[in-house]
Amino acid sequence: MPITILPPVVEDQSPYQADSDDSMSVDSDEDVEMTGVSRPHKRPRLQANSNIGTGIVTPGEVVTDDPQWMRGHGTYMNPLSTSIIATVAGNVQKTNKLLSVHPLRARYTPEIGDLVVGRIVEVQSKRWKVDVAAPLLAQLPLSAINLPGGILRRRTSADELQIRTFFSEGDLVIAEVQSVHQDGSASLHTRSLKYGKLRNGVFLAVTGTGGSGSASSSVKGGVGASAVGSALAAPGGSGTGGVVRSRRQVWTHETANGGGEVDIILGVNGYIYIYKHTDGADAASSTTENVSITRLEEVASSSIYSSQNDDISPQTRREIARLSQCIQVLVQYGVRVDEETVTGAYQASLQVDLEVGDDEDEEDEWRQEGREYLQGAKGGRIIQLLALDLAQQKNRKKA
Amino acid sequence: MSNQRQASSASQVPHLSPAELSYLYTSLSLPKNPIRPDGRSPTQFRPLSAETTILPGTNGSARIGFADGTQAIVGVKAEVEKTVLAADTLDSRSLAQHGDALNREGEEGSAAVSGQGEWVQMSIEIPGYRDDDALPIFLGEMMRESLVGSVENKEEMAGGLKARLVINKRWHWRLYIDVLLLSQPLSYPLPLLSLTTHLALLSTKLPKLKSTGEEDPFFDDDWAAAEYLYPRSKPSSGPFHPVRPPVTILVVSVGENIIFDPNREEISVADAVLAISITRSHDSDALKLLSIRSIDPPSRLTQSGIPNSENVNMIGSTPAENPSQEEVSGVWRPRRGGVKRSVVARMIKTVLGKGGVGEEVLEGLEGVEVH
Repeated sequence: MPITILPPVVEDQSPYQADSDDSMSVDSDEDVEMTGVSRPHKRPRLQANSNIGTGIVTPGEVVTDDPQWMRGHGTYMNPLSTSIIATVAGNVQKTNKLLSVHPLRARYTPEIGDLVVGRIVEVQSKRWKVDVAAPLLAQLPLSAINLPGGILRRRTSADELQIRTFFSEGDLVIAEVQSVHQDGSASLHTRSLKYGKLRNGVFLAVTGTGGSGSASSSVKGGVGASAVGSALAAPGGSGTGGVVRSRRQVWTHETANGGGEVDIILGVNGYIYIYKHTDGADAASSTTENVSITRLEEVASSSIYSSQNDDISPQTRREIARLSQCIQVLVQYGVRVDEETVTGAYQASLQVDLEVGDDEDEEDEWRQEGREYLQGAKGGRIIQLLALDLAQQKNRKKA
Repeated sequence: MSNQRQASSASQVPHLSPAELSYLYTSLSLPKNPIRPDGRSPTQFRPLSAETTILPGTNGSARIGFADGTQAIVGVKAEVEKTVLAADTLDSRSLAQHGDALNREGEEGSAAVSGQGEWVQMSIEIPGYRDDDALPIFLGEMMRESLVGSVENKEEMAGGLKARLVINKRWHWRLYIDVLLLSQPLSYPLPLLSLTTHLALLSTKLPKLKSTGEEDPFFDDDWAAAEYLYPRSKPSSGPFHPVRPPVTILVVSVGENIIFDPNREEISVADAVLAISITRSHDSDALKLLSIRSIDPPSRLTQSGIPNSENVNMIGSTPAENPSQEEVSGVWRPRRGGVKRSVVARMIKTVLGKGGVGEEVLEGLEGVEVH
C-alpha cells in the first residue's frame, strides 16, 4: 500500500467547548470567559460584565475596548483609543486586570542556561551565527568554544584564520545560552566537554519552548488535552506539543531490537538530535569534575570537531528512526516532549508492533514493508497506550 | 546568490552538516532495505488528505494536504474562445498537426480539428517565488507538457485533452489551470502539485453542448447536466480504458536503492532525482510513460566532510595539502558522475510495472470522491 489518501479532517470549530472546567466557564450572559492563570472564582463579578468574547483572537482583532484593562504581552493599544488589539494569534489570558494574548505558536525565546541545539548558518571573522529557532540568530564567539589542545591555550590569529575547521556552515552544535542581549538575541558557549559538534545521528525540529511553552506552566488542560487527558498536554494549554524545559534535556536510552544505547538531546529551542551513544563521550561527560587539566587536553581534542561518523549498525539506525518518529507522533498529537513521554512513546511503539505482528503474520509483502511507519494509524494507538501508562504511573504515585 | 542557486535545484535545500548527510546516505543506501528517517518503506507515500470541488466559481478544483503540512489548491476554469487558424500564430508543431488534420479532413470530409497545446494555460504560484522565477516556470512547463502531450494517437482524437477542448471548427475551450501552493515548499513541490492538478482535472465539468455541428456554441444552463472533461462512468459495453490526466511522480535513487515520495532530507542526499510522468494508456490496461525529467540533485552542491585523519583539530593528524579523493566510511562526499543505467531502468519499471507504484497512485486518486 504505497499510498493512502484520507478524507479531509474537519477542524473542531469550537475548541473552547471542551469539557475542562478549570480553564473556562460560561456565565449567564453567555459570555465565554477565559480565566487563564488567575484563580477562577475569586472575583467573578468584575469579569462577568466584560465583553471579552472568544478564546482565540487573531492579529488586529480588538480584544476589548473597555478602559479598565491593562495591556500585556501580545497586545497593542492605539494611543488615541482605549481598545486593546491583539498582535499575535492566540488565547486571551487575564491576570487580574492585565490582559495578554498567549500565542498559539511562537519562536523560542532564549534564556540564560538553556541547552540548545543549533545550526551554524554564517561564519564571521571571530564568531559564528547560529540558528536556534529564535527570532534572531544567536552568536557563538570564537572565544566561547573549547579550542583543541586544552582550555588554557591562547587564542591566536591562526585560530581566527582557520575558524571553519571548528564549525562550518551547516554544522550542528549543542551549546548553552550564555547571555541574552537587549534585543532578545542570544550568545552561546560550548565551554564544556558535553558541548560541541553533533554527528552519528539524525536531527529533527519541533516546537520549542516559546510563547506556548513553559511561560505559563501553571495552566492545565486545554485543546489538545481533550484527546489524551490533561496529563499529557503541553503546558500553556494551547495544545501544541513541543519540547519544554525539564529536569533532563539529555539522556541515554537503551533501545530494543539490538539497537544498543542511543543518546537523545532535546534542545530547549525544539531542535532535537538523536544519535548513537559512544563510550568515549560518556566517560568524558560523566567524569567532568575530576578530569585534570592535562587529561582534558586529550579528551577535548578526541572528537569534538570531527565530522566523520562512526560505524553505526542498521539495527541502531532503525531504532534511531523509531525514536525520531515517536517524537513526531507526540508532536502531531500535541503532547509535550520530554524524557518521560519519549520513553513512554518508545515503549508503546514496541508494544504496538507486537500487537500488529500478531495480526498479520501472513500478510502480503506490501503490508509488511510499510510497518515501520508509525505516523499513520499507529500513532493514535501509541498515544493511547502512552496516556494509559502515564495515568497508571500517576495512580501508583498517589497510592 | 545561494538562494538563486537553490531555486534551480531540486528544492530549497536545508544546509545539512556533512555528518548528517553521511548518516542519511548510509541509512538510505543500505542494500535491499533502506532505513528512511520516517520509517516508510521505499515505495510508501506520505499519507495525504484530498478533497475535490472546493471552489464554487471554478469548473473543477481540488485540495491536497500532505501530512507534513504542505498544501496545494488547484482550480480549473474554462472559457469558450474563437479558434484562430492563421498560420502565423501557430508554432511549427501545432502547424504540423494542423496540417495533418487538414489532410484527414480532405480524406474523410469530416471536421476533425486537433487541439492546440496552448489552449491549456497553467500558472503556478509558490510562496517566496516570483512568477518569473525558474522554479515555478519549470514546474509549470513540466506539468503542462505531459498534460497536453498525453495522447497523440492520431486515430482516436477523442482521447486527448487537446482534442477534447475542440467544440467545432471555429470554437474551442480554453483551460486555465491555476495551481496555488499554500505552504512553504518544504520538499520539492512537484508531486503535490501534480497530484492536486490531476484531481482537479478529474473533477472538472464542462457545460453540456446543445448546439450541433458548426453552429455557434450554445450550452445547457443546467449545471447538473454538465459533463466531465474526463468521463468517469463506465460505458455499458466494451472494455473501458478511461483516459486520465497524467500524474508526475518524484523518484530518487540513493546508491542502489530507489525511493518514492522523498522528503526534503532524502532529496538532499539523492544521487539522481527523476520526475516521471505517467498516464493510463487508452487502449490497454498498461500504463504509459509520458516523460522523464531529471532534476538537478542538490547533493552536488553540498560540502564534503573532513576525515579524522585530515582534521587539523585532531591530535596526530596531518592537514593534507590536497585532500584525498578516496572514500572514507562515515565521511560525506558529494556524489559525482550521475546514475547507472540499470538503476534508471529499475526506477521506470517500478513505476510502470503491473501492480507497480504508478497503478496504485492512479487507483488511489480514482478513489477520491468527486462530487
